[in-house]
Amino acid sequence: MHSNNPFQRGSSFVSSEFDRRKLLKLGATVAAGAAASGVLAACSSGGGSGSSSGGTATVRIWSWYTEMKDTLPAVITDFEAKNPNIKIDSRIFGTPDQYLPALTAAVSGGDVPEIFAPHVRAITYGEQGISADLEKELGSSFLQNFFPPTNQEYTKDGKQYAVGWEAQTFGLFYNPDIFKQAGVNGEPETWDDLIAAAAKINAVGKASVSISCNPTTSALDFFLPLITQVADDPTYYLKLDQLQEGYTYTDKLVVQALELNDRIVKAKVFQPGTTGTSGDQAQQLFYTEGAAMFFAGSWTPSGLITNAPAAFVKKYKVMKTPAIKSGARHWTADQAGAGFAVSETSKNKDAALTFLKYLYSDAVYSDLMNKSNSMPSTQSAAEKITNPMLKLMTSWLPDGCPHIPFGAGSSAAGDPLGKIFDQSASPATVAQGMQAAVLNAKG
Amino acid sequence: MTTTQSTAPFDRASARRRRRRFPVAKSFISVILVAIAALMIFPLVWLVLTSLRPRNTVFGGSFFPTSITFDAYSTAWTSTNFGLHFFNSLWITSATVIGVVVSAALAGYAFAKLRFPFKNVIYVILLVTLMMPSTSLIIPLYLQLKSIGLLNTQAGLVVLYISSSSPFAMFLMRAFFEILPIELIQAARIDGAGEFTIFWRVVLPLARPGIATVIIFQFLGTWNEFIYANTVLQSTDALPLQPVLFGLLGQYQTDWPTLTAGLTMSIVPVVLVYVWMQRQFVAGMTLGAVKN
Amino acid sequence: MSRNSIPAPPWARVSMRPGGQSVWKLQRSERLAGYGFLLPITVLFAVFVGWPILFAMYLSFTRWSGFGAPNFTGFANYTRMLNDPVAAGAFVNTIVFALVTTIIQTAIPLVIAVLLSAVWAGLGVVIRTILFIPGIVSFVVSGVLWKLIYDPNLGTLNTTLKSLGLGDLAQHWLSNPHLVLPSIIVVSVWAATGMNMLIFFAGIQGVDPTYYEAAEVDGANRWQQFWYVTVPGLRVVTAIVISLNLMNGFKVFDIIYVMTGGGPSHQSEVFGTYLYGLAFGSTSGSIPQLGYGSAFSVVVMLLGGVAVLVQVILSKRANR
Repeated sequence: MHSNNPFQRGSSFVSSEFDRRKLLKLGATVAAGAAASGVLAACSSGGGSGSSSGGTATVRIWSWYTEMKDTLPAVITDFEAKNPNIKIDSRIFGTPDQYLPALTAAVSGGDVPEIFAPHVRAITYGEQGISADLEKELGSSFLQNFFPPTNQEYTKDGKQYAVGWEAQTFGLFYNPDIFKQAGVNGEPETWDDLIAAAAKINAVGKASVSISCNPTTSALDFFLPLITQVADDPTYYLKLDQLQEGYTYTDKLVVQALELNDRIVKAKVFQPGTTGTSGDQAQQLFYTEGAAMFFAGSWTPSGLITNAPAAFVKKYKVMKTPAIKSGARHWTADQAGAGFAVSETSKNKDAALTFLKYLYSDAVYSDLMNKSNSMPSTQSAAEKITNPMLKLMTSWLPDGCPHIPFGAGSSAAGDPLGKIFDQSASPATVAQGMQAAVLNAKG
Repeated sequence: MTTTQSTAPFDRASARRRRRRFPVAKSFISVILVAIAALMIFPLVWLVLTSLRPRNTVFGGSFFPTSITFDAYSTAWTSTNFGLHFFNSLWITSATVIGVVVSAALAGYAFAKLRFPFKNVIYVILLVTLMMPSTSLIIPLYLQLKSIGLLNTQAGLVVLYISSSSPFAMFLMRAFFEILPIELIQAARIDGAGEFTIFWRVVLPLARPGIATVIIFQFLGTWNEFIYANTVLQSTDALPLQPVLFGLLGQYQTDWPTLTAGLTMSIVPVVLVYVWMQRQFVAGMTLGAVKN
Repeated sequence: MSRNSIPAPPWARVSMRPGGQSVWKLQRSERLAGYGFLLPITVLFAVFVGWPILFAMYLSFTRWSGFGAPNFTGFANYTRMLNDPVAAGAFVNTIVFALVTTIIQTAIPLVIAVLLSAVWAGLGVVIRTILFIPGIVSFVVSGVLWKLIYDPNLGTLNTTLKSLGLGDLAQHWLSNPHLVLPSIIVVSVWAATGMNMLIFFAGIQGVDPTYYEAAEVDGANRWQQFWYVTVPGLRVVTAIVISLNLMNGFKVFDIIYVMTGGGPSHQSEVFGTYLYGLAFGSTSGSIPQLGYGSAFSVVVMLLGGVAVLVQVILSKRANR
């Protein structure tokens, strides 16, 4: 069909009025933009590389530790008052998934922030010369104050590439009301006890344990301590994580741990659809009383205080993760998921170290931890914890075991693990899948 | 209400017919449309309602909040420094839109109406990235910006946006220019007008709907962009709105009222641009019909 | 603009004979203008698209984690891609997503646009504006909203189904491997309907009413008028809408990333999300795999380039 041309007739009719109006608006926007760019150029272009201009060193500190969002600015102001030639630029991202791309890009570009949260890449970055050796920079007397696991997790070959900021343990938070409703007495001590309790809880129409397996590294938080329980040796996973000579995911102990995990899933202990449940969704299920228990880490009390109804916050309790048999050690996860590393290559490394030491100074550190209801990594701050839940969980640290895949490629074991939670593969197959995935990701 | 007037001739004729024979049909259709509209808008109604709740009642409460508070809006405004980032978004988006319109209109016209060797080859090459996800070249782009020294600058981000968005806009503008008759241009050439004058005075005024379309698309696309802004800009002060709002989404806890309040506030300017532009958009399309 | 306003340059007085000097000069100025007009876009393209593509091609033959120097590995990345089940899954998911969303996001907005042009104009404007708003919010916002709606325990969808007594229909929308892609497609349709509908609506309004009058004189009823006047008149607009939807379907990233991150277990992985994970190390473990990721993006680009080429050829043929 011959296309009807609306424009042919219209040219002289098209109102010049519109022309003027539109041009005026465009012009106004351009002018505003130009003015703004002048104003903002002063702010934006200077802040990047942290270079000093006229003697002021800029120290960037990047993390996703949102618990500190409201309390850190005051600490920074105090520090800057005492140290007039250091300026702190703090950036707190919402989640690791928002943070990691920015960090990766910065590393690729060779411009690493002075202080940054290393996530699981602490050791890898350290070996590549990106993060500084804090054993050397901060000294062993400074580091002795920290809980040993939080130091060990960042250490390789005698060098320590990061310090723990918030320590973590995991536990089973539970709702005593639902326990009473289902007829569950006391706290389940072993996995068999838990499975029996789950049957009763499911019978009254609630999920037993709410857990998040999305992302799959959260599933590893649950599974990796099982390996330690089966092996009864907290150094086993440390060696497996680094894929040391003779350690593979197809080892008998790992397969046994997978079989245990499989048995727990088959007993309908978890809510349906774990691999599609994110961390905050799992927490919601718990405080809206859709699940009796909640497997999560020690950041949970802080979250519940902000999100859950006040009545719920008063009544919930926490217990240790079940043990493999009666009387055995409970082996709960104990590593610091949140730490700080210092850039080795930045010009302002010394200023960064000054700020870091200030952050960890007794008064400042324990105040920050208490205000944000977080678990501290230093023993001196641990003595000053105010939140009773956190105090209880901190006392479990001696029974701690590793749960964070720091080794190159280790976190790739999470995806095959998801199949156990999905019930879409057998433990033997998953073990092989884990080995393949980790080797593949490691390179 | 230009829109109403321009559709009137068509509507009146068929409406007359309908009133005589099928008065029910129009109402029936209206009911269906209203139902569809209600369904579509429902999630956003939830968005606004959530921004009015106290934090502890976001889940497990009734649909309509029992207590209303505007606290979230003031929290969102101050704690995220909303004003600054809003302004950043405005300036970055406007600059991008202008840049895209300029480069796309020029190129679209050249491909539609001018003749020169290798035209088709260049056209296809420019379009080759049309289908690529934004995440595919992010690290090479980052390194490129760094080597030019535009990293962590809003200007660098704007240039990046313009470069990656122009091909599609050019594709659109070309389609609009193709409709114009070549005689118009040839007549102007006979008159002795230079090529740029022809473009500027003769052709461009006729491409208003095309430009309006590009402006709408580009404004929306750039205003809502998140990944590049988050990666290229390091200092918090320089960030536009979306990364900052998205940053309110926590790993284990999210302040829903504040987040939804911020999101509600961020939707407003786009609605305004849409309302401003859509009249031109639809009016331009129907203008020819009316004149005829 | 009138003939007298622009002064005539010398060659205007010479008549336009093919092969004459005047024609040559005109062609040269046209050619210069052609390249000149292309200058802004090609320069930007070369610097910010062309060069990174070339760099990515180079990287595709290496192994690089973003720091240190890349190691040359030849075709290893490409052979790995052939055996990579996640890459194959991403390929299938992307194609399915693009095709299905294109079909639905072209048909439904067209129907709605037709319905809209048959109701009272005032109501029409209100409904048009309402339908457009979902398309205004960023996919980040929509993704978060719908993720909450789809929440199996607390989300509005399942709780509404349960309260209506249809509890059996309640599903795990985002964690069931068979339902995750359709669930995301629903969200895409929700967001895209407004814009597409607006384009169709403008197109319908742009059809010359004299054609309808002529058809009515010929005795055609409303249905026949729709089929023989409206639909052909919308051909160009429909082509635009289809290519728009195909393009966006192929490129999809934000919405899937926010809602599922490509999960569960890569069931909703598409090109965009997989590339993201390879670049930043989310799905592959802790370390970015920029070499393999670049190889993948080269392949995606080739596929996309072929699709664009096909579209261009088809549209050129259609316009002949």
